[in-house]
Amino acid sequence: MSLLNVGARALQANQAALQTAGHNIANVNTAGYSRQSVVLQTVQGQFTGGGYIGKGVEVQTILRNHSELLTRQATAAAAVDSGDSARMDRLRQLQDVFSGGASGIGASINDMMNALSDVVSSPTDLTARSVALTRMDEMAARIRDASQRLDEIGYTVAEQLKGSMVAVNSIAKSIAGVNEQIARAKGNGQPANDLLDQRDQLIRDLNQHIQTSQVAADDGTVSVFVAGSQPLVLGNKAATLSIEDPADFGAGSGQKVLNFLAPGSSTKVELNESMLGGGEVAGLLRFQNSDLAEGRNLLGRMAVAISESMNTQNKLGLTLNGQPGDNLFAPISLGNAVGSSFNTSAATMALTVTDPTLLQASSYTITFTAADAGSVTRASDGKVFSFNGSGLPPVTVADVFATQGLGVALSGPPNAGDRFMITSLQGSAAELQALQYSPVDLAAANPVNAAMGKANSGSMQLASLKATGQPAGLVLPPATGVVMTFAGAPATFTLAGNTGAPVDASTTPPTPLAGPPYAFTPGQAITIDGWEITLNGAPKAGDTVTVGNATDPQYGDWYKRDAGNASSLMGLRDVPMFDGATLSDGFAGAMAQIGTRTQSAQFAAELSSAIAANLERDRTAVSGVNLDEEAARLIQYQQAYQASAKMIQIAQNIFDTLIQGLAR
Amino acid sequence: MSNSLYRLSTANQYDTALRNIGQRQTSLSNLQENLTSGKRVVRASDDPVAAAQAERALTRMTRNDTDQRALDMQRNTMSLAESTLGEAGDAMQAFRELVVSAGNGTHTQTERDAIAQQLLSLRDQIMSYANRKDSSGLPLFQALGSAQSPFGGNSPAFNFAGLPGQHASGNTQIAQVLDGDAAWMSVPTGNGVFEVSLGATNTGKAWTDLGQVTNPSALTGHNYSITFSVVGSVTTYDVVDNGPPPPAAPVPATPVLTGQPYTTPTTIAFDGLSLKVTGAPANGDSFAVAPSQTTNVFQVLENAIGTIQNGGNVDGSTDYGSLTHGITRGLTEIDSAMNRLQSSRGLAGDLLNRADRIEGEMDVRAVQLEDDRSRAEDLDMIKGISDFQNQQVGYEAALKSYAQVQQLSLFKFI
Repeated sequence: MSLLNVGARALQANQAALQTAGHNIANVNTAGYSRQSVVLQTVQGQFTGGGYIGKGVEVQTILRNHSELLTRQATAAAAVDSGDSARMDRLRQLQDVFSGGASGIGASINDMMNALSDVVSSPTDLTARSVALTRMDEMAARIRDASQRLDEIGYTVAEQLKGSMVAVNSIAKSIAGVNEQIARAKGNGQPANDLLDQRDQLIRDLNQHIQTSQVAADDGTVSVFVAGSQPLVLGNKAATLSIEDPADFGAGSGQKVLNFLAPGSSTKVELNESMLGGGEVAGLLRFQNSDLAEGRNLLGRMAVAISESMNTQNKLGLTLNGQPGDNLFAPISLGNAVGSSFNTSAATMALTVTDPTLLQASSYTITFTAADAGSVTRASDGKVFSFNGSGLPPVTVADVFATQGLGVALSGPPNAGDRFMITSLQGSAAELQALQYSPVDLAAANPVNAAMGKANSGSMQLASLKATGQPAGLVLPPATGVVMTFAGAPATFTLAGNTGAPVDASTTPPTPLAGPPYAFTPGQAITIDGWEITLNGAPKAGDTVTVGNATDPQYGDWYKRDAGNASSLMGLRDVPMFDGATLSDGFAGAMAQIGTRTQSAQFAAELSSAIAANLERDRTAVSGVNLDEEAARLIQYQQAYQASAKMIQIAQNIFDTLIQGLAR
Repeated sequence: MSNSLYRLSTANQYDTALRNIGQRQTSLSNLQENLTSGKRVVRASDDPVAAAQAERALTRMTRNDTDQRALDMQRNTMSLAESTLGEAGDAMQAFRELVVSAGNGTHTQTERDAIAQQLLSLRDQIMSYANRKDSSGLPLFQALGSAQSPFGGNSPAFNFAGLPGQHASGNTQIAQVLDGDAAWMSVPTGNGVFEVSLGATNTGKAWTDLGQVTNPSALTGHNYSITFSVVGSVTTYDVVDNGPPPPAAPVPATPVLTGQPYTTPTTIAFDGLSLKVTGAPANGDSFAVAPSQTTNVFQVLENAIGTIQNGGNVDGSTDYGSLTHGITRGLTEIDSAMNRLQSSRGLAGDLLNRADRIEGEMDVRAVQLEDDRSRAEDLDMIKGISDFQNQQVGYEAALKSYAQVQQLSLFKFI
């Protein structure tokens, strides 16, 4: 009887609906589960003379509620969030290395310079000298320590990247496997809801590591692309990704790149970092290649600039034994530039520091378009300098780097297309080492001394006398000294016994003084033969000042009680050395730079986290299970089931009645 | 398909609530860190600009402290120099009084020798003052550089083994040592313009005062000699101009005054200067007039001692001429020397005053820098506590609402 059939069908349909509701309730907390709802359709009615009589209900399909657009958006946002927060975490670690306050590196640098003040107050006190040298050693140790911590951060980032690569490759294989299963299941006519959910979840997991884009194919498989265009999963085949040194500059560049290897191929393709989008791998690569590199460069520049300038000044002075000073810190060698492995010539580029006050905390890439022409790109801000040795005016690569404080020396002519990379500052901080430990070896005394004429009647006083070695090296005065003789009004002076003409070293390049006779301004620093004298007061006609060689025997051991070079070493505190900031303020600038990066990474992470949460909520608004809704549906389908069961009971009653009526 | 505008997934609800609770917990814990450390800027990323400002303020504060410490040392050394000059002045005063007493006409040479002994010990004392060093071995009168003991040598060649000159003082430091050459080695002889000395072979009893300048524009700066001739009871004197002193080329002597009569006392005047001669000269006695030169404190003391030691004649009588002249000249030169020491002492006092002023400025600066640092990185406690309490209330509210909402479920009613 068709009523029985209708009832049976209804029972089955409602049972399926109840089971689906139960399945939803069971999976309320399953990650990536899309709510399933049963789609009922009526069975076509049967034609009779009195009209089409309906034949009941059947389940058409189990619908998987999900929105492709929302899923894709939520996945991409989650990838960006994961990348930003990975970078922020690492930047927080980097920031700790550059912490300030009384126990930071900046305080240690300043303590070292300030310790020289006690040497100036009592030049023969060996304890004061010892303390100054000990502070230098401490500062070098602190910087080496910070460099080591940066290396550790780099090491753990590399390990994390390796772990991510393993996960990415295995997820890619799983996606390929699920793709195959789904393609097979598609032949059955109904969508394989749970497999589809599984694949979406795998893609979501993959996006935590690296952002991908998906393209659906006709056979039900989804192909997954990374960096915009490289197919990580194509149908049921998965490629592999790996993290390696760049092919052109290798390990010397301090950079890492993501390599893509298609299945069955043996050539690796380097993926462009800017195309990677989001994901933990992208965030960590960005940290490793730009943030960590900047931290290393900042630290390296401080180490090189401080050690170079202090070494130069110490070598100008005299130790307690009357010998010229030696290096206070081991000179940090910058080595050679890293040549690209695709260079056709065998030229190498040797590097030296020419002016520590001009050094930039950056790596450089040099591309030659001809043997003496090309361009230099500064990595920290992307500025490009072009040079052309045969242009008008001729600018060589050495000229470009002279403005950056570096000296480059090519061993031979490069060919067009050759590239070099300068990353020497990154490893410099690890080599900072104090060399002098004996208090006698601190070159605190000036190599020159000054005497006013005995018959001077003016009011001149000596404000400062220091050896600078500018502009062309120190030339010691002869035994009779360099004599400055002054005239009254207007105040001028003439020189006798000097080798070079006097200059004003406060301009770049130094301007020679007009004369003789040279105009005298009280308080103006006059540079002669590599030493600089500043006199206050007003001279009278006939006044003289004699500058002599402090090691000349006529002066005996008077240099022992002089601390002029220690004053000059202290004066380095005020030399603009780090992008215009003075030596003592250099660390504050580095701290602020890293802090700003960290802060903006924090803001970015907060923003992307909020966006990801919002998009996920929108996605689950369509695909998520709401327990109250499922409870209501349970009741609804239960009622329908009961009604269907009643229908069967009524059908049976009808049959019984019929049978009873026919039976005798 | 139900309208997604009004749908919420249960799992997502819980996720969102957890996320909010987690956020509140994190900001609560951050505020707690701020409160316990007292800093608004704990890490540079909290506020990079303020962190850099605080770091720079700290740098300047340590530098200010270093400058203050150096200033203390400079002040100590300069104080010692100033008090040494005071002691030297006292010793010079005692020396002067002894020299005055040595001029007493009733003394015999024995008594004068006794006085000379005291003068010798005072002279050694004064020499040791000049060579005094501070606690770290720096000579107080080092000038621009000197030997360990700058003053040495013997009469007539006392020397200053050093570089004359004075260090300038700045805004954050004062000079630590004084110019020894200016203090001890720059005494003018005679009356400052010219000096009169007795001839070595004089036998008479004549002596002169130090003389004065009557007409500065008529001064020649030449050496002169005044010679006396005694014929019978008539005493006359001649003044001869011996030309400019070396290293100028020698010029033959020209007479200035000839055959002038002399009685005691007589004022001899020529070429813009005049001097008063007292006493009776012997025949052939002479005085030499020369331009003033630069001598030093020790030579002056030595000359005074020499005059007193040689005040007696071989026969036991007193050589009044040379004694009186020597003592007069010595007292004037001692006064000049004391003046020089006094002006150095004045400079030292000036520098000490300057040091006090600098210290005051440094104290003000220290307070100002601490204020800068605090403003940049310290937490306003009241704001911090009130923020913390706000966050606490918010956190409680989040927890309570989570507990309430999760109890609402249709399953409880069916």
